[in-house]
Amino acid sequence: MVTAGTVPRRGRASRTSSHDARGALPPRRNAYQQSMARLGWGFSAPALVVIAAVTIFPIVFSVVMSFSNVNVLGSGFSIDGFTLSNYTTVFQASVWQYALAFTVGYTVVTVTLEIVIGTLIALVLERLEAFRGWMMAILLIPWSLITVISATLWGYIYDPTYGIADRIFGALGMGSPVILGTPTSAIIAMIVADVWKTTPFVTIIVLAGLVMLPRDVYEAAEVDGASGWKTFWTVTLPLLRPTIALAVLFRILQAFGVFDLPFVLTQGGPRNATTSLAILGYRVMFTDLKFGPGAAVATTTAVLVVLGCLLFLRVFKSQVTETGDES
Amino acid sequence: MSARRSKAGQTGLWIAVGVIILFVLAPIYWMIATGFKTTAGVAAQPPQLFPNPISFENYTSAFTSYSFGTYIMNSLIVSIATTVLVLAFGTLAGYALGRMPIKGKLPILVALLMISVFPAIALIAPLYLLMREVNWLNSYQALIVPYTALNLPFAIWILRNYFMGVPKEMEETSRIDGASPLRTVWSVVLPMALPGLFTAGIFAFTACWTEFLMALSFNSADAFRTIPVGIALFGTPHVTPYGIIFAAATVAVVPIAILVLVFRKSVVSGLTSGAVKG
Repeated sequence: MVTAGTVPRRGRASRTSSHDARGALPPRRNAYQQSMARLGWGFSAPALVVIAAVTIFPIVFSVVMSFSNVNVLGSGFSIDGFTLSNYTTVFQASVWQYALAFTVGYTVVTVTLEIVIGTLIALVLERLEAFRGWMMAILLIPWSLITVISATLWGYIYDPTYGIADRIFGALGMGSPVILGTPTSAIIAMIVADVWKTTPFVTIIVLAGLVMLPRDVYEAAEVDGASGWKTFWTVTLPLLRPTIALAVLFRILQAFGVFDLPFVLTQGGPRNATTSLAILGYRVMFTDLKFGPGAAVATTTAVLVVLGCLLFLRVFKSQVTETGDES
Repeated sequence: MSARRSKAGQTGLWIAVGVIILFVLAPIYWMIATGFKTTAGVAAQPPQLFPNPISFENYTSAFTSYSFGTYIMNSLIVSIATTVLVLAFGTLAGYALGRMPIKGKLPILVALLMISVFPAIALIAPLYLLMREVNWLNSYQALIVPYTALNLPFAIWILRNYFMGVPKEMEETSRIDGASPLRTVWSVVLPMALPGLFTAGIFAFTACWTEFLMALSFNSADAFRTIPVGIALFGTPHVTPYGIIFAAATVAVVPIAILVLVFRKSVVSGLTSGAVKG
């Protein structure tokens, strides 16, 4: 989508520049171009080799493992035989089915909340004339905070003995719930912690999008006598759609792999209530040392992420072309 | 638009801003305040809104009785080494993919994007087994190498965008003066792409400083724990020494907070160019 918008521009730029080069140095062009291409590969090689070694090789290896009997021995491991048993074991396990449902639900709820709240905050901040830079700085603090620290912090806030949340509920006459003790409240508590940490990221992206919107469209809407809300729904939101869609995409990717927060805050509990796919995969591999089924969990998660992204891009792409036709 | 804004609207705006600041900063305040409380102060009922007395005992015990000094040193080593490698490799690859006549640029760039999307959990198991084979578990390279690979795609994209903004004529002049391509990149292109280097560097550093899953899986021995692993595995299952943890956390937050606040503009441009180009 966005690449579709930027790539042709780059293509044009490089065409004109190679044209310039052709004009400047006609006879040496071929030999020169060839040596530059070789050098270009040389320049790219360190980066591409490291990336391939750490990503492409393990991805292939992970898929192979998920279809094999993997035995982790004292110091090494052995892989033998093609089998589907890792996948059938995983798909039939109720823990996996719950983890899948939880991860999908968690992703949908947190991303929706963060986009709505993040956009609202961005709309407020956009009206600020002074002080906006400082607000950006404040918003960057949760974004740059180590997730493990923010999870520990929220664990302290929710603590049944020392936690301030307990006090606040008490003061509001809502008794003193053991927040991380029951599945529903633990899930809500985790969502609150996630929204606090990640909404600022959405706000920054949306605010940057808002600031770049063309002013004259607003003025036209104002002349037409449109109300604030009407302008928002009919002018601002459609123009912001590409920005918001990208924020959604980033958030889906992150939320679907959620690990740090439940690992520290709830350890996946109570009774597996907050066990995400990543937590489950980690537990199967490193606690139960079952690398075959673990690889199956990991591979399924990765495939779902990639499919989800492609689906989202597809849906979103058609929306972009629609708005593109309108303007 | 400002002409239309009423006095009541202005007040409402400032109330909204106040609520946002409270929402963002209250938990941060609570973390910092708790770090300065005594053990009795942390446990006090009702909770102390302000540490009374203000105590530094958590700070001293985090660094003397516990290994937080080691964790911070480990995080610094891993993050700085990764950032240097990412900037070096990313500059070369970004320049080659932006400016040099390589065939198949687009597939490479698209592949880089796909890789940066891939969830880390899918890489953990094979990397773990591999590192066990070559005895890399509990070492600095166990984190530096994967971190470098995972942060390179974003750096390459960002740097490539900046390099493409450098006027072609400047490179031509440098070449006609007889400078080698590497020399041209170093002395002509790189100085003009400094904001891009800042952005790419801060993102790589922050990602390493905060990464947890790989650090937990590969480097769980106390001597090689980074800050997130050290904090997550701190205490016993039944007792969490919050005062000490938050004292250490406050120290851990400072370098990133300074980086992010000083280079605020680079960070915001990185986030948004990530959103526009990534």
